[in-house]
Amino acid sequence: MKKKKKEKRSSASRLLSLAMLFYFLAFILLFLHDFDTRTLMLALVVPVLIFVSVRGLPKLFPADQLLLSLSSFLAALGVLVLYRLDPDRGMSHLINYMVAIAAMLVVTVGVRFIRRWRLLAWLAVPVSLGLLALPLLFGSEINGARNWVTLFGFGFQPSELVKLSLVVALAWLLSRKKLVLAVILTGACLGLLMLQKDLGTALLYFGMALFMMYASTGSPLILAGGAVGGAAGAYLGYRMFAHVKRRVAVWLNPWADRQGAGYQIVQGLIAIANGGLWGTGLRLGNPGVIPASFNDYIFTVICHEFGVIFGLSVLVIYLAVVFRGIAIARQADNAFHALLSLGCTVMLGLQTFVIVGGNIKLIPLTGVTLPLISYGGTSLVSSMCLVGIMQGVFAVNRARIREAREEALYEGEGAL
Amino acid sequence: MKQLRVNIRRVGLFICLLFALLALYGVYSLTNYGSRWFSTNANTWLRSAKKDVIPGDIYDVNGVLLAGSDVTETETGFTAVRRFNDDALIRRSLVHVLGDADGKVANGVETFMAHALYGFDQTIVERVRDFVSGARRKGDSLTLTVDSALSRYILECMEGMGVQAGAVVVMDWKTGAVLAELSCPTFDPSDPADSSGGTGDPYFNRATQGLYAPGSTFKTVTAAAVLSDPQLSSRSLTCTGSFAAEDQNGQLREITDAGTDHALGILVSHGQIDLRRAFRVSCNSAFASSAVQLTDAKLKKQAMAFGFDANFLFREIVVENSSYPEGARSPWDVAMTGIGQSTLQATPLHLCLIASAIANDGIMMEPRLLSRMTASDGSVRPAYGMRIERKVFEDPEIPALLREYMYDVVNEENGTGSQAALAGWRVCGKTGSAEVDGQEKTNALFIGFIDDERAPYAVSIVLENMGAGGEYAAPLAHDIFEYLIEHLQNAAPAL
Repeated sequence: MKKKKKEKRSSASRLLSLAMLFYFLAFILLFLHDFDTRTLMLALVVPVLIFVSVRGLPKLFPADQLLLSLSSFLAALGVLVLYRLDPDRGMSHLINYMVAIAAMLVVTVGVRFIRRWRLLAWLAVPVSLGLLALPLLFGSEINGARNWVTLFGFGFQPSELVKLSLVVALAWLLSRKKLVLAVILTGACLGLLMLQKDLGTALLYFGMALFMMYASTGSPLILAGGAVGGAAGAYLGYRMFAHVKRRVAVWLNPWADRQGAGYQIVQGLIAIANGGLWGTGLRLGNPGVIPASFNDYIFTVICHEFGVIFGLSVLVIYLAVVFRGIAIARQADNAFHALLSLGCTVMLGLQTFVIVGGNIKLIPLTGVTLPLISYGGTSLVSSMCLVGIMQGVFAVNRARIREAREEALYEGEGAL
Repeated sequence: MKQLRVNIRRVGLFICLLFALLALYGVYSLTNYGSRWFSTNANTWLRSAKKDVIPGDIYDVNGVLLAGSDVTETETGFTAVRRFNDDALIRRSLVHVLGDADGKVANGVETFMAHALYGFDQTIVERVRDFVSGARRKGDSLTLTVDSALSRYILECMEGMGVQAGAVVVMDWKTGAVLAELSCPTFDPSDPADSSGGTGDPYFNRATQGLYAPGSTFKTVTAAAVLSDPQLSSRSLTCTGSFAAEDQNGQLREITDAGTDHALGILVSHGQIDLRRAFRVSCNSAFASSAVQLTDAKLKKQAMAFGFDANFLFREIVVENSSYPEGARSPWDVAMTGIGQSTLQATPLHLCLIASAIANDGIMMEPRLLSRMTASDGSVRPAYGMRIERKVFEDPEIPALLREYMYDVVNEENGTGSQAALAGWRVCGKTGSAEVDGQEKTNALFIGFIDDERAPYAVSIVLENMGAGGEYAAPLAHDIFEYLIEHLQNAAPAL
């Protein structure tokens, strides 16, 4: 038993040192190109940051090491790719990353120690709806969607933060068997998102809510109803919004208008083909020609310079995150915690699917971010917080198991 | 709680499925379309990478240089300009195969094989070696399967006949090697301003991108469908000189026989006729009625077996997809399809593949254009192997019968393709005269092959607005086959 644990740890630490080496070498490579001291600094800071978050944080509270390593690797990949695209954005992603770690800590500790969720969960409902209504009141339109808000000189995307409040509200409602309320809440959120024309995010909320409802009831009727409702919503969106129609047309045949509407998809596909299996090499490609290479198309940039095999590996990392999330959910001893972890997992998994699928033209492109990697402070913080919720549930599970073990030990002593 | 855990696992598995879908679709689309994405002229990365590399040379199957490069030193580096073959006729006959650097000709070797020509296939060892030695990087040289002398000869013939627009494809039906692929009107890449004569776009490659009604050449497909149908194949047909069927408005419309003597102004009927004779004289009413009896579904199935509606993703050559008419169709539409009209569309290259498949016992080989790839240090790179594109027939007796039918067309009395006959060789073929809306004369078509393993050549000819296939296309086929036989002794194997 003890030996097994040791083995596990040593393979995890080997993984950790590999990740650190990867980023060290990558930034050194960039440094050899630009001789910027900032790059050299990053070659040290990024590996150290990974080390600290993977090794240091579990000292503060029980945390899932694998989940920590995976999410750190992904966020650091974001720093690397963004720094390569534009050093300033890379630096700001690094700062966002540190903020996000702090936010994750808060969320983890919160989930671990909050005992009375009732009030919080009920509070989450108006908060979700209120936040989603904000862009309609003071929003500005970007790429056809009105989902961005600037308050007191501080711009953010409310729909990113609502992911957190919504998952809490839904988990609580569903664990109390209040299915109808959950459906109404989800419907209201989706309606508000439709008004903002942000169909990508609507799709994510919809998927998350649907799977949480299915898990809590186990009824195939929910899935069937969801499928029908989803199809109806998609059709409605298609009929109502010109930009959705455009995107579907471009998805069906981007080559028809390769210099116009189809430009982004065409250039993305070409960039992936240019990279091939092994990529052009860091700094040797030209990701600059792809529009939105910082956020929506960052997966394509990764495939372009690092190669398709690396791109597939990144997907495997996301899948591993999903696996951990599912495992944590299954270890939980109450429905609320299980649904909480499940909701976060589904959100991260679906979001990855939706944007990567859009990049490779499997599904129509929608403007959602690649979790943890894409540029954007709100997105990074909310993704890290989702991971934080999973960590919190893990900590609860761990504490419970330890208690149970101690109790068993105590009882054993008593019997003697 | 237990049920909840089971449900959670199910959700997890579903997300796994989604990810598997991503990976599978990504790998699938990249392997099938990657080289096509790469070679489009929208690829700015390729354009900029070209500046550092001297493109490889392009040779024909006999080692004749088709395209080399003139390198001039400049202060900042060098510029490489394409230098083409000295013979203007060779340049013009092969310009659509080679394509041009600007990509005005879509998907020529110059663009579709830019990967090899500009050194993207070089290994890391080669790149390091070039970097260390300071040598100019030069891409791989390509030896194509096309024969420049044959191409030149065909262009001469076509211009001698006064062809305004059209295409010719010559293939080796055993290997799939494309020996010639011409499109008229054409132009001289060394002097692009001089687009010689003809009507239409000289940059358009009619052989691979031009979609034509196959006309009576499609009767090979209809005949194959009839032969595959046990009930129909033994039935004898009656030709009354015309065949009437209802169109979508419920009105009777007539299909008259192309074999009739219009000069006399009367319908000549073939009377009682079997499929073999109907094929030889290209009897429209017999084939129209056969198509209706067959039903649209069976005819479509046979056409799809021949590659209609297929997504052609050949590795060395980009070919437009051929299409069988869609949707619910009236008897008249089906009858018209049976004689190769309606909205049937096929490229000349696909028509050549159809002829090749019949010659090769129903096995359609993938068309190939690349014979050899040579690295700048002279070492030969592993090239693609031969590949079977599709097996058209399960039963080898049907292609054998079709060969007999096609033999009759060329060699029997009043066969429509008699002008293609070549003494001493079993030439098989089928003529076609496709009607095109708004065109004064029909398109003259011929597909055929030499039914002999020693000279495994197949040909397809489409001459726009020329007249009857037997009168214009068949003689050209004769000339091409004659040329091929004369040069058989010193023909190098293309693959």
